[in-house]
Amino acid sequence: MSNDVKRRDFLKVVGVSGAGAGLSGCSTEEVEKLLPYVIPPDDITPGVATWYTTVCGECPAGCGVWARTREGRAVKLEGNPAHPISKGALCQRGHASLQGLYNPDRYPGPMLRDGGGFRHVTWDEAEALLAERIQGAAGNVLLVSGHTGPTLSALFDSFVTGVGGFRVEHEALSEAPLREAARIAFGQDVLPHYALAEARLIVSFGADFVETWLSPVEYGKDFARATAVDSAGSKGRFVAVMPRLSLTGLNADEWLPIQPGAEAAVALAMAGHIVASGRGDAGPYAGLLQDFTPAVAAQLSGVSAEAIEELAEQFVSEGPSVAVGPGVAGQHRNATAANLAVLILNSVAGNVGRTVHLQGGWTGQKARPYAEMQQAIQGMASGGVGVVMVHGANPAYTLPAASGFEDAFGRVPFKVSFASAPDETAALADLILPDLHYLESWGDSNPRSGIHAIQQPVMRPVTMFDGKQTGDVMLSLFARLGRDLGSATFRDHLRAAWGELRSSVAASSGPDGADDAWWRDVLRSGVLPEAGVATGTQDDASVSPPLRSPDSVLAFDLPEIDGDGMDFTLLVYPSSRLYDGRFANRPWLVELPDPVTKLAWHGWVEMHPDAAERLGLRNGDVVTVTSPHGSLEAPVYLYKGIRPEAVAISMGGGHTNMGRFADGHGVNPMVLLPAAVEQPSGAFVQVATGVTVEATGAWKRMATIEGSDDQLGRPIAPAVELATLSAVAGSASAEDVGEAEAEVHHDELQELNLGGGFVPVPTEGRPEDFPLPGSRYGGYEDALSGPRWAMAIDLDKCTGCSACVTACQAENNVPWVGEEMIAMGRNMGWIRLERYYETIDATQAGPLDVRLLPMMCQHCGNAPCEPVCPVFAAYHTPEGINAQVYNRCVGTRYCANNCPYKVRVFNWYTYTDVPAPMNWQYNPDVTVREGGVMEKCTMCVQRVREVQNKAALEGSRPIADGEIVTACQQTCPAEAITFGNIRDPESRVAQLVESERTYRVLDELINTQPGVSYLKKVTFHAVEGES
Amino acid sequence: MATATETRARGAVPHPDVTSYSDVNRDILAILQRPGKGWWALFGLATAGVGLLLFSWGIQLVKGIGVAGISKPVGWGVYITTFVFWVGIAHSGTLVSAILFLFRAPWRQSIYRAAEAMTVFAVMTAGLFPLIHVGRPWLAYWLVPYPNSRYLWPNFRSPLVWDVFAVTTYFTVSATFFYLGAIPDIAAAREAATGLRKKFYQFISLGWRGTDREWHHFGKAYIFLAALATPLVLSVHSVVSWDFAMGITPGWHATIFAPYFVAGAIFSGMAMVITLTIPLRKVFGLQAYLTTKHYDAMAKLILLTSMIVLYAYLTEFFMAWYSGEEIERTSFWDRLFGSYWWATWTMLVCNGIMPIMLWFKRVRRSIPALFVISIFINIGMWFERFVIIVVSQHHEYMPFAWGVYRPSMVEMGILIGSFAWFGFWFLLFCRLLPPVAIAELKEVLPAPMRRKEAIDHG
Repeated sequence: MSNDVKRRDFLKVVGVSGAGAGLSGCSTEEVEKLLPYVIPPDDITPGVATWYTTVCGECPAGCGVWARTREGRAVKLEGNPAHPISKGALCQRGHASLQGLYNPDRYPGPMLRDGGGFRHVTWDEAEALLAERIQGAAGNVLLVSGHTGPTLSALFDSFVTGVGGFRVEHEALSEAPLREAARIAFGQDVLPHYALAEARLIVSFGADFVETWLSPVEYGKDFARATAVDSAGSKGRFVAVMPRLSLTGLNADEWLPIQPGAEAAVALAMAGHIVASGRGDAGPYAGLLQDFTPAVAAQLSGVSAEAIEELAEQFVSEGPSVAVGPGVAGQHRNATAANLAVLILNSVAGNVGRTVHLQGGWTGQKARPYAEMQQAIQGMASGGVGVVMVHGANPAYTLPAASGFEDAFGRVPFKVSFASAPDETAALADLILPDLHYLESWGDSNPRSGIHAIQQPVMRPVTMFDGKQTGDVMLSLFARLGRDLGSATFRDHLRAAWGELRSSVAASSGPDGADDAWWRDVLRSGVLPEAGVATGTQDDASVSPPLRSPDSVLAFDLPEIDGDGMDFTLLVYPSSRLYDGRFANRPWLVELPDPVTKLAWHGWVEMHPDAAERLGLRNGDVVTVTSPHGSLEAPVYLYKGIRPEAVAISMGGGHTNMGRFADGHGVNPMVLLPAAVEQPSGAFVQVATGVTVEATGAWKRMATIEGSDDQLGRPIAPAVELATLSAVAGSASAEDVGEAEAEVHHDELQELNLGGGFVPVPTEGRPEDFPLPGSRYGGYEDALSGPRWAMAIDLDKCTGCSACVTACQAENNVPWVGEEMIAMGRNMGWIRLERYYETIDATQAGPLDVRLLPMMCQHCGNAPCEPVCPVFAAYHTPEGINAQVYNRCVGTRYCANNCPYKVRVFNWYTYTDVPAPMNWQYNPDVTVREGGVMEKCTMCVQRVREVQNKAALEGSRPIADGEIVTACQQTCPAEAITFGNIRDPESRVAQLVESERTYRVLDELINTQPGVSYLKKVTFHAVEGES
Repeated sequence: MATATETRARGAVPHPDVTSYSDVNRDILAILQRPGKGWWALFGLATAGVGLLLFSWGIQLVKGIGVAGISKPVGWGVYITTFVFWVGIAHSGTLVSAILFLFRAPWRQSIYRAAEAMTVFAVMTAGLFPLIHVGRPWLAYWLVPYPNSRYLWPNFRSPLVWDVFAVTTYFTVSATFFYLGAIPDIAAAREAATGLRKKFYQFISLGWRGTDREWHHFGKAYIFLAALATPLVLSVHSVVSWDFAMGITPGWHATIFAPYFVAGAIFSGMAMVITLTIPLRKVFGLQAYLTTKHYDAMAKLILLTSMIVLYAYLTEFFMAWYSGEEIERTSFWDRLFGSYWWATWTMLVCNGIMPIMLWFKRVRRSIPALFVISIFINIGMWFERFVIIVVSQHHEYMPFAWGVYRPSMVEMGILIGSFAWFGFWFLLFCRLLPPVAIAELKEVLPAPMRRKEAIDHG
């Protein structure tokens, strides 16, 4: 019948369509070529890292580093444990050196100006041209340099002397006022070194010693040591006396929110109180102290006289104390006076020689006064300079337009820059001779008297860029100008200089022996300590000189501020990520959320919420900030940690020619400043002007990782009052209480045994209990005999510096995503620093309680993310690590939804196709993830496996506690993070977890049984509702 | 078999004007003959919408899932909302065609074919979204348990794998049920068709000749599949609701979710049936077959399920407060007064307040009023899923991790495109298959008799 469908036809149709439906999946893999070494270099074993010792050159602190290289590429930096400054730690800027090394915008080679742009030339041509011009300049050569190692610095000096001219050192963050104050007070031209670790009470008048002040890694470490509670229940205090809380300030136990410029008044009032009570001697300043009573100081600062007196009392009675400040953020027109006042306070309290050391102080590089640069500018403007050479400085950016630098610079007939990557000054140059990055070059460092360190290249220069070490260029110039210094290369020159150093310095420790062997040993250890010179912990009684009378006129009251009648005083402070702006082309740092505001990529203006309400401003409203000298536009950030009369803008943004990641991001507050010179130090005045703030009507969705800064009473970052700790109070520890509770629950649980085989397991859910009984099958049978990796983080030590974030990023190939993605909430950081305000008041002196919480994957024993992943990409290893199997992840994101801590991050795009040579930085031990895959902290499982493999190869020996170190733990200056096998009762992590301060985030609410335990922050005041 | 008089007396179908089989054939089959301009215009629009869907999806496949607006903490947004929306809508069709069949509800006869078609197409639409929303869709087949050389199975504890089973089962059973039930009607259409169409109907009618034996087997098969499909109405959306209830997110982790979602599914599905059949009825002149009595019955069902849904809303809010748990309370307070307050209030008004009007018989019997209310209900139900999914995720345990989700253009394109995809298939269905079940309608009409005088009944 015609209506029938024949069976055959039916099967044919079904078969064809079925076959057509079976499309093969697209493959996302590209074919890549791997070329093995034909003849491998000597130092390199493929798959095994080679480590080199060197010194970080990113800021003048001079931390020693170990560089990890793989197959000839530097992939990670860590602190050198033997170096007296870093002592094994490293800050985020140090880690981001790698992005300076692999900066895709580095100059490809020497460049000569050609019309509006540049053209390539060879090194020969470039040097010949420069030599010619120098000869033609006939003694009018200006050399501007930033911080430089001593050998190169000496070479610069001899160069300038040889050809005739002068040299100016320019560092935007300069402690010239402190140095001048020390000279005035004690007659010694030094920058004091502070022994924060010895202090029981630290008072900062603005110095951000955790972020950028003098030596942030060292001082961050010392600060944590001093202020973290010890087993005896004792703890140092930290009081912040500043108009705006920097990250350092957020760590304080008490905040005196003083008016900008009132530091001197408060310090003198404190000193006066101490002298009046007969416990100190002010020498020639006694009269001055009588002018600044606590009442006067209260009136000038806006903080009560009682608070000032109480602080003074504590300063002299609470054990060794130290006062530091005001630092660059407080550098106003009376900065020298302010620093002098603080030194007077220290002297009166007897701190000089105990916590303030004049011996073994910092080298002068951190204290170059701006006045010298101003002279140079005048020289250039008047036509007195024939050739100007700039190395390691970017004055066209770091100086305001009012300084006249750009015009003056433009007048010099021949301008040379040694910048290895574009910056605003190099953009104006005629000739660019790109220096190598410090990781590719030779040098040395002498940050403090008594410490000499070697900087050696850790790899051959990145082949994409034809740079040349400036030391080599100088020697070559010398040769062309007819002088021979005896060395063909800077390496030889350095070697010779160190040979001399060796004989002149009787090393207190360090290598001995024949020259070559000695040199190799120096390179290996990295440091040559100088015998007989204190490295800053002990002093002679003789190095506690008495105060001298001032030799210049100083004003100690409120400084002059431009812009009478303008609404706010402008505070311009250095950025802990971008420093003075030099790191603005490093996406790790630009994307690292500012530790205080949690903003990334773009600029902002900080304003107190009360002031903002008066002006009708909300978070993100774009405003115009206008000073008598300029104006800029930025979104407003409501910040509770700043006096309502002030606004603050961070340095470092607003670049115009720094590279693809820097240009167009952020704002440069220098445009608002005059080029004022502080007297008598000659420093650049940062706090110089008032500003008005007006809404533009626009609103910006800010790129922040912060949702809310209020804990809402949830068990996330609790604290405990010092007085209630058992070591102090002598009461029963929390553990006893816990046991009693557990017994009660045990009885209740027995009732639930319905006889059907279901017995709930009573457990406290401690990390070492993983895996629980009943779950030990399918590969977990032997889990209890193996390690359980766990972490303990001491919140009393964590300063919130965020070095761990960048270290993790470097170690684990964590991508950066850009401003737009951050604004959408797509931050990729595996670890984030959460910041919750508990007590903060910008209008009066009082306790300060800000909780800083490093939050990463908690490696929960009862992880909510694991049961919900449909493909087992979220999987718990028998050793207790919550593993993420990247290859298996399909990207449903259920695991991230179910994670209460929100520590899982998703690759919304394939972020890892980065411009060459940034991919050279990738750690070969860690997968590089593609788009559509979830990732998160793995407790550096690659490091765990590396050590386990090593131990297995070395005869299956046991692994010692502390042998496996996660990246975040390794870099933390405060030593807040501890990692180890919590099943080993001798391990540090197991011992820490027994503390009464231990808790786990949210665990009591949702029973996730995290493997990461935290130790509560300890406060000096009663904590609401928590224990 | 009830006589035609009894069935009519129970207030069922059809209109008294419909008296004979030939009336039915004429009216229903006539639909299949007339592709008017209106249909073409709508179909063109639907095709354009499908184009938008494919284009948006294409952008997403090429550039990466990042073109959607989802991020941390809101990892599931418009896509999952729309997935649950479409799966929910599907349930009503099966309720009408299977469950009401087993209960012998008389008023289902005119609407169940369109409702069942809606089910199949809604499941097809919903089935797109798991592929759209995963990060690596080319590997989505790993959720399916197939033997492989790596001895890897999916994680059967994961609700997403349960979803795979539930939705696949539902699609398979619904499609089979739909197809099987339509075979006699396709045969009827085959008789009236010519040319290519006839060949098409010949193929898909599987050679149905209408013999007694075939009818016998048909009846058995139909009951069997109805019984098989019945538990699915309750189980499938329960499983989908457990995607959320098995999570620990405050606002998701609640035991009421299974009945809540099932009731919501029936609720939104019936509303969608009304939204679809009212224009169908108007355009194709089916007033005699889809009478106000049918809509009255549907409206009563909507009213019932709206009460259950409203109860569920109130329960959720009450339990959040009663629990004393600060996190739960904050989450629900945020629903009402936080960043997404407008979504929550839309949901409450559309789903809780508007259906109150259905208490009134006048409203229940007013076709325009029902049309408007049904559209509001669908909007409200989409927003209910949005509120549950997005608003719960955006304010969870860690305040520092709170965030706001803004859907992107690509997501809206795919959302609109999904409606167009559904419309595309439904419009094709209207054109190719009888939208009203001819065979069952004929069951309640007087049988054709040889002698004319037997036709006239009281």
